Amino acid sequence: MAYSDKVLDHYNNPRNVGSLDKNDPNVGTGMVGAPECGDVMKLQIKVDEKTGVIADAKFKTFGCGSAIASSSLATEWLKGKTVDEALKIKNTDIVNELALPPVKIHCSVLAEDAIKAAIADYKKKLAQRSPQTEAVAEKA
Amino acid sequence: MQDTFKHAEACWQCGTPAEQDLFCRYCNSLQPPDLDYFRFFGLEPRLKLDPEDLQQRYYKLSRLLHPDRYTRKTSREREYSLEATAILNDAYRTLRDPIARAEYVLKREGFENVEPRSKNVDLELLEEVFELNMALEELRAGDESARPQLEVARDKFLAMRSEIDRDLQDLFEEYDATRSREILEKIRRLLDRRRYVQNLVAEVDRELSN
Repeated sequence: MAYSDKVLDHYNNPRNVGSLDKNDPNVGTGMVGAPECGDVMKLQIKVDEKTGVIADAKFKTFGCGSAIASSSLATEWLKGKTVDEALKIKNTDIVNELALPPVKIHCSVLAEDAIKAAIADYKKKLAQRSPQTEAVAEKA
Repeated sequence: MQDTFKHAEACWQCGTPAEQDLFCRYCNSLQPPDLDYFRFFGLEPRLKLDPEDLQQRYYKLSRLLHPDRYTRKTSREREYSLEATAILNDAYRTLRDPIARAEYVLKREGFENVEPRSKNVDLELLEEVFELNMALEELRAGDESARPQLEVARDKFLAMRSEIDRDLQDLFEEYDATRSREILEKIRRLLDRRRYVQNLVAEVDRELSN
């Protein structure tokens, strides 16, 4: 099976590889994996507190070329979007952009799951923040 | 368990109604061998089975189906014996291995086309897998300090695999007793997890032996 040029480009020059501090309250971390192929994907977003816009996104994926390309593309798309806009990214958008063949569609599903997981983690932190701050304040 | 395999309704030789047997109960002619693997061995579809009994059945069928026994039979029976011998080997390989056996039953019960979703794997395992992959990458890049970490990780994953195997045995018994799809779903999740762990062990072993 031949990879499309866009997959190869992302695979050879992955964008935004790396990690953000997962303990940072403004960072959301999504960790997903597919047991069938053994892929594991970590995708993180850093959200600007004031604007709610995703200021930075990083990923690290262990898996096939399509999984790497899907997550690389996802981080590119995430930057500059609000969290709610980011939730609208669908795996089919990734499939179309990268021209993924049917056997690789699950890689794009994984990337969509990773985005959703990262945002869910961020939202969870956001919701926990106020009571947590109070708790810390009480202790002090 | 419903049988998805279509089998001839009557013996092709003597017309006696066939009952999902390999040999006609009346005239003993070999029937078209397109049987479910369990039926092939004359077994009930159970997830727990006695490996010695299976082996005895395998030896017996190997003798009974051997193409040499059919050289003077009709071309139809010769063809069936060749087919049956091939199926026999596949069936034996599948049923004697508890994991392959469970996967076979899951497939028969319509669990095969499930999209690989991350939700089937728990987060803690994923994080460990991720860390392990990081260590593997370091070792591949020539960082020997990652080696002890990998050895520790391999032992951990081997222990995890043993635990999964124990849990599977319990679920197999439960399924045989209840035939519940809920149990099959649990088995499927455990098998997913096991495959994941198995791939990791294999990968770590490969790297460590380099």
